[in-house]
Amino acid sequence: TRTYASEATGATGGKLVVNFVLPHESVMAKREVNQVDMSAVSGDLGVLADHVPTIEQLKPGVIDFISDSGSQKYFVSGGFAIMNPNSVLNINAVEAFKLEDIDPQAVAANLAESQRLVASAKDEITKEAAVIEVELYETLQSALAAKS
Amino acid sequence: MATLKEIQMRLKSVTNISKITASMKMIASTKTTRAQRSMNVARVYGKTSSELATQAEVQKAEAANELLITVSSDKGLCGGIHSSLSRQSRKYLAEHPEASLVVLGDKAKVQLQRSYPGNIKCTFSQIGSSIPTFDETCVIASTILNDKDISFDNAKLMYNRFVSAIAFETDAIEFYPISQILEAPNFKAYEYQEDVLENLNEFLFANSMHWALVEGHAAEMAAKRTAMENATKNAGDMISRLTLQYNRGRQAVITNELIDIITGASAL
Repeated sequence: TRTYASEATGATGGKLVVNFVLPHESVMAKREVNQVDMSAVSGDLGVLADHVPTIEQLKPGVIDFISDSGSQKYFVSGGFAIMNPNSVLNINAVEAFKLEDIDPQAVAANLAESQRLVASAKDEITKEAAVIEVELYETLQSALAAKS
Repeated sequence: MATLKEIQMRLKSVTNISKITASMKMIASTKTTRAQRSMNVARVYGKTSSELATQAEVQKAEAANELLITVSSDKGLCGGIHSSLSRQSRKYLAEHPEASLVVLGDKAKVQLQRSYPGNIKCTFSQIGSSIPTFDETCVIASTILNDKDISFDNAKLMYNRFVSAIAFETDAIEFYPISQILEAPNFKAYEYQEDVLENLNEFLFANSMHWALVEGHAAEMAAKRTAMENATKNAGDMISRLTLQYNRGRQAVITNELIDIITGASAL
């Protein structure tokens, strides 16, 4: 029989399905969203349905999940985001928290502590670790400042 | 026929043992509930991480360098957990005698050191006292990846899969290093930057290992609960049997004393 061709929306029907998982918590399982904005080592990127398959290493930063009901922002410590050919975006991160759950004062205090560590570090490894901490807290601070 | 005193001592010791096994069962029960919750999350985490290899349709290389990682623990009294792992590991090593072996946990280490000491590249202990954290997993994963004696094209994480509260099955999680994924037929669809590949490899490895460790821990807690439950039940059966024996003995003694008294009295 003949039927009218339906609107071509790509192999998957135009939906972006997200799996956002941590080792100790499944934050999102097969959640349909419209767009995901992330901060990757190669640069910031926004992913829509049927985005070209990509592998991105995530920097500490904010992931924004945009759907019809609004946007949900999480701050992640790092991990990988892999966009698959079937329009499924898998994000494995180590730690993630909603921005509103993070205490700005604790961040400021920890940032000061890490900066002191960088100055007083006695060996390369301690110094490197402290530098990473400083980057993390600075990113966290600007993310918290941006949301308000 | 044992004396009343002996039966009494046995009764006392079996009662103590049954109290111990009953409390171990309670503890294992609570640990199982918590471990199961962590396991469900870790499974999702590990399976999501393995999706890339599945989507890329990685195949095992022809003459692959194999690595077997046996995910066991240090603690005993958990039924067939460790012997099942050792048995399956030995079976695998018989088929792949050149494979490198890494053992997590003292129990399997002892058993595998006896049969395949030459294959063991490194072992880890202090495993299994609590639910594995991602931090611990990362330490193990990076130690293995940084070991210059270990290079592999294919790794199998042999662990105990949690089937139900009373059943487990020894299974293997396949891990393909990034060098193999790059060769996979569907991988050319993916865009990526070269410099993240090494980090990706370490991350995917840690993720799969985390799944194996957490699920293995849950299977072990459940098996420990079952083992302790059986032990308590058996101890209870033994206590009933011994009590009956004790009472029969006691009655026999009383009967003999009565007979003595009566024959003594009738002699007067």
